[in-house]
Amino acid sequence: MQATSPVDPRVLDAMLPYFVSRYGNPHSRTHLYGWESDEAVEAARAQVANLINASPKEIVFTSGATECNNVSVKGVMHFYKEKKKHVITTQTEHKCVLDSCRHLQQEGFDVTYLPVKSDGLIDLNELRSSIRTDTGLVSVMAVNNEIGVIQPMEEIGQICKEFNIPFHTDAAQALGKIPIDVNKWNVSLMSLSGHKVYGPKGVGALYMRRRPRIRVEPQMNGGGQERGIRSGTVPTPLVVGMGAACELAMKEMEYDEKRVTELKDRLLNGIRAKLDGVVVNGSTESRYAGNLNLSFAYVEGESLLMGLKEVAVSSGSACTSASLEPSYVLRALGVDEDMAHTSIRNEPAL
Amino acid sequence: MTTAVPPPSRTEILSLFRSLLRSARQFPDYNIREYTKRRTIDSFRDNKILSDPASIAAAFSEGKSQLEVAKRQAVVYSLYAPKIRSIMDIKQ
Repeated sequence: MQATSPVDPRVLDAMLPYFVSRYGNPHSRTHLYGWESDEAVEAARAQVANLINASPKEIVFTSGATECNNVSVKGVMHFYKEKKKHVITTQTEHKCVLDSCRHLQQEGFDVTYLPVKSDGLIDLNELRSSIRTDTGLVSVMAVNNEIGVIQPMEEIGQICKEFNIPFHTDAAQALGKIPIDVNKWNVSLMSLSGHKVYGPKGVGALYMRRRPRIRVEPQMNGGGQERGIRSGTVPTPLVVGMGAACELAMKEMEYDEKRVTELKDRLLNGIRAKLDGVVVNGSTESRYAGNLNLSFAYVEGESLLMGLKEVAVSSGSACTSASLEPSYVLRALGVDEDMAHTSIRNEPAL
Repeated sequence: MTTAVPPPSRTEILSLFRSLLRSARQFPDYNIREYTKRRTIDSFRDNKILSDPASIAAAFSEGKSQLEVAKRQAVVYSLYAPKIRSIMDIKQ
């Protein structure tokens, strides 16, 4: 499930009381409604933190991974704009990261968009050589939403530690699917999304390291909620849902991984047994099984989608589905123009 | 030290297993129905090897609370069942 995932019934069960009877504002300090709402938010914060091996104090709730990416990219660079003028990211990032970088370029910052190899992974030597003394952020997504490849997070973290540069990752597709450890990866900021882990849409969480502390300029000004980083009433039912989803993901990660790999193998072997000219886009070793992007030679992708009436698949990603252009991610991999037009993303899940 | 809760009997465990499978059948959604069935069968099979009474009791009470969740949500999902059934429910 890449574009989104259905809310798990167990998650819905955890959320419903907060829509029905426990509807207090968690910031109200003077009555039971507020206290129980606040308690639920803090419990959810701990559940999210546990999944990534962080402290609850390092989690800020937002409206989703897009907002987290905006805060991470623009917020960090605006805060350190006196000394740091350069951002490094990749060509295969999610549109919100690329668009935030474009916005920074218009403000006068420099951005390096690292190319990827044909397997979708970045070249660590190229990363190393593009680092400057005024580099303020490195942003690399952990699991790509279109092709499912997993970037070498530990190695990138090591390089950032060596040069003392904050490392941001968009881990929306990685959360709950591969083990995440903010210390092993040495990330300073991490964007997380609720609706990719069988939680509700409209909620996300931003991990912000406390030691050493990363500072950001808030993108939402107001009453100072979420330690001043993100003002606005915290949506208790959504946050409780995200927490429950994270706790579930932690319990079920191993079981789900086995099942998804089984399904992926069945899908790929089944297709290959009946068809030639099927190409898996992206590295076959460093990938998440639940995202299979295939190119079918001689068949146009969008037409194939229209022909598959009973199955929901996509070509590219949800945020690019309105456009008929081949995906920029596949272009970055160096896939031929005509093969790029034939790609379909399959998502075995549950 | 309070007296420990007696571990569940074989009949109780089997009854919980059957109740979970029954609640799985109540879900109108194909995916949730199949997942609940499969997860129940796999969990009970994996927990068969437990020998320590404390962990057996813990697994049993976990199963009971999951049964309560399943019962509630089967009602909610049935109330909002979509008119279009999954292809997997239509084809033989």
